[in-house]
Amino acid sequence: MRLGFNFTLGDTYDMVQRLIAERHIDYCEFLIDNFFCVDPNELAKAFDCPIGLHIMYSKFLEADRPTLVDFAARLRDYIDALNPIYVSDHILRFSHEGRAFFHLGEIDYSTEYEFVRDKVLQWQEIVGQRIHFENYPSIMDGGREAPAFFERLMKETGAGVLFDASNAVCSNRNCGTPFEAWRNVIAGAQHFHVAGYRQSLIEPFISLDTHAEALAPDTMSFLENFRSVFDKPGATMTYERDDQIEFDDIVADLKLLRNLFGVAEERRHDLAVSA
Amino acid sequence: MLSLPSRTDRDLYPALMSPVLCANYPADHKAFVRIDVSLRIYWHTLFDICPELLELSGPDGMSIFRPFMAWAGEKKLAFDWSYYLWVYVWLRQSPFKERLLADDKYLRSIMAASAARWAILDRGRDCGIVIGCADTKNLVIGWKCRSVRLGREIELIEPEEPLPAPPDIFGYFTLQSFELDIFPGWQSLAR
Repeated sequence: MRLGFNFTLGDTYDMVQRLIAERHIDYCEFLIDNFFCVDPNELAKAFDCPIGLHIMYSKFLEADRPTLVDFAARLRDYIDALNPIYVSDHILRFSHEGRAFFHLGEIDYSTEYEFVRDKVLQWQEIVGQRIHFENYPSIMDGGREAPAFFERLMKETGAGVLFDASNAVCSNRNCGTPFEAWRNVIAGAQHFHVAGYRQSLIEPFISLDTHAEALAPDTMSFLENFRSVFDKPGATMTYERDDQIEFDDIVADLKLLRNLFGVAEERRHDLAVSA
Repeated sequence: MLSLPSRTDRDLYPALMSPVLCANYPADHKAFVRIDVSLRIYWHTLFDICPELLELSGPDGMSIFRPFMAWAGEKKLAFDWSYYLWVYVWLRQSPFKERLLADDKYLRSIMAASAARWAILDRGRDCGIVIGCADTKNLVIGWKCRSVRLGREIELIEPEEPLPAPPDIFGYFTLQSFELDIFPGWQSLAR
């Protein structure tokens, strides 16, 4: 399992360089559409490690085709320059009746499957690339339908799933989605996310994917129990932290992940060669 | 017992941006908490970025937040990058108007917040946005991230030769390079 860190804006640049230099991470994941005004060649030279590209605001379920074609044309420049390990995006709602959500919305898995499948096919065709779509940290009970939805989506579109382990933990805590229901999705996925979460401020408490806390014990237990399903050749796991960004805290969590998954195959090879 | 549909997030979409609709859900139900989480982010997006506004409203912000969100719902505001500018438009016709206009720090904060939000959210090809207001000669510019080592940048400009005032309270134009070298005229805010 290769470990990575999410790079969303320049203020963590020095920290990410240190994470790479001290070998706490093996690759870096750009939130790529934050950097659409940066020269692709500058991005390609930014970090001396493999790169993943994570898309935040394609809004591919809502945007019209010309907008997506233009977005994809710019994305392609970065794909060509950075040769990423993967390209990933989100299946969620950014707005309702033209009005923006500030806390993004989950889709209805049972009634929107065909719509989403067609949009996924169209979006992959426009980008010219297999895309890995991230699961949502479900709150409402409809989230229990997510594992079957993603399993079917992978089969029928050739898309991948960027499986967010802590989102699945939130979904388990909030609406009881069994971890076991994700087994086939995890087995078919190569790229993963993990992060901390916190409880809502009011009861009945729900768990929110906040990327601002240490990894929770139940997240680590989930990873331990499914370790052999997660880990596979070429697998990646990005540790996401968007707030409360403290180097020592991040390294502590990365060490937990390294202890669990061991040194990545690729790194073992590097170490053998250098020895 | 909840009689409203709440199986999925989708059942709650209209309430996720409406304190009025939120009140239809019992406070001990998960749907209420889900909506509350959503509404809190609208609140924090406003007051964490423009904390000066709490001087007008009091510490919980609710005397601004609730009526503004109701008004925004009636107007069907898109809640795009111009979210903060519409708060100013609402404040200008509210009981807070006199105090709002007595100190330009509120306007500066609001214009900077909207410029920053454009730079964060816009995925078009433009590099920057210039925001003008009929209540000031100053301009605020928001620049997208232009280097891997930098974030977005916000500039306050006090032009030697002021641009004509926008026809509405606010106007904006976008820049296709990282230079302020054109004035193509003001665009009005979309709702």
